[in-house]
Amino acid sequence: MVLCAAMSEIGTLEQVLWGLSFSFNLALVFLLLYRKNYRLYPCFLLYALLNLFQAVIIFASLQRWSFGSATLYKIAWGTQGMVVLARAVSVAEVCRHVLAKYRGIWGLGWRLSVAVAALVLAYSWAVAANHWQLFVLTADRSIELAIAVAILALLVFARYYQVVIEPAARFLAIGFFLYSCSQVLNDSILERWLQQYATFWNLLGAITFLTSALLWGWALRLDPQKARSQPQLLPEDHYRLLSPAINARLKALDEQLGHFWRAEGEKT
Amino acid sequence: MSLAFYVFLAILALLFVVFVWSLRNPKGHTVPSPSSAIPQDLQGSHVTHLPQIRRALAPADLEFASKRIPREALRRMQRERRNVALAYLSALQAELQRLLRTARIVAALSPAVAGGQELERVVLTWNFLWRYRVIRLSVWAGFTPLPQISDLSDLLSGYSVRLEETMRKLAERAAMVAEMVSSPDRRRIDPI
Repeated sequence: MVLCAAMSEIGTLEQVLWGLSFSFNLALVFLLLYRKNYRLYPCFLLYALLNLFQAVIIFASLQRWSFGSATLYKIAWGTQGMVVLARAVSVAEVCRHVLAKYRGIWGLGWRLSVAVAALVLAYSWAVAANHWQLFVLTADRSIELAIAVAILALLVFARYYQVVIEPAARFLAIGFFLYSCSQVLNDSILERWLQQYATFWNLLGAITFLTSALLWGWALRLDPQKARSQPQLLPEDHYRLLSPAINARLKALDEQLGHFWRAEGEKT
Repeated sequence: MSLAFYVFLAILALLFVVFVWSLRNPKGHTVPSPSSAIPQDLQGSHVTHLPQIRRALAPADLEFASKRIPREALRRMQRERRNVALAYLSALQAELQRLLRTARIVAALSPAVAGGQELERVVLTWNFLWRYRVIRLSVWAGFTPLPQISDLSDLLSGYSVRLEETMRKLAERAAMVAEMVSSPDRRRIDPI
């Protein structure tokens, strides 16, 4: 009864989706604890807990303030900031879990991911910086885009260096990527059609969260122990010896093609 | 705001394309054990077949043949010369892929990686691949006259010497590395 009274201002479908999101989130926390995944992904547990905390806070606030009130807006976005930051840390944790055993490329990878994510953050901020009334929305979108790019950098890096990503980490990364991308899309549409779209915004957010939560749940029920073996690394001087030599050989091949190229150019 | 909206849509579309590409499973390509990371056949370069290719594509041959054989046979000869050029290009590309695989494995299994080296490799690969595709298409379509292609080998005399030198050094280094790996004193290759 209390729940219904508090949420009477929100549509039925939204209520159902919010309820489902809360249940999925709760299940995620139980799964993390029951399967002891929190040992591997403590930041992900923190993220899931913060998500629950946000839902409880917003629900409690709804009993006191009306749905469109400024106070509720501040509470919602304030807690959202914490949740987004926790998600960013979780993403970093997944990246570390995948690449850290390959010390060399992890050292390069995390710097590259942070640099690319910072560039994207700055760019997306600059693109929308002249609309200060949409400050929170812009910040949210910029961070989400940076998170999506960081995950993509991880996936591209892993593919380039032929690093196998264990299924659990893979599904977690896919869930994070899809969720961040849909949030960017959602924020962009909301920014453009603020009035008309506002009612659907929360709804689509809930749907994308449900989808991602399903992927995360699937990831957590997979056995994380299978791919935990550490690769045997080469001695340090191997790279110093071989890498320049291989690059020299590549350059030679490139020059070889260059001669084809120039010969063709001279004729034409 | 409208421009920003479309910019973000374009960025998202691009991210999705890269995302799908990155999720595609490269079959059988995983980081192997350190022992198989050491290149085994560093001398086996297709680049060393250039003199034979040069002979096969010599313009004098074609000129000589054009005066003595019927047109149909001459066409077949040109087609075959083109096939030789295409096969040579394919061999170069296969060699590139082999080198890249070795380079990636060595990088993945190294405790420290130089960003400059990796970036240089990416640039070299891009340079090679786009030129390779254009040239291959051009040769395949018959836009590149084969006598001209054969002339390129004249430009390579100085280059070949350098290449041989590089390959010799590389082989020496690889032999040294292989010796270190197979050495009974494995203190230096303990897991790090």
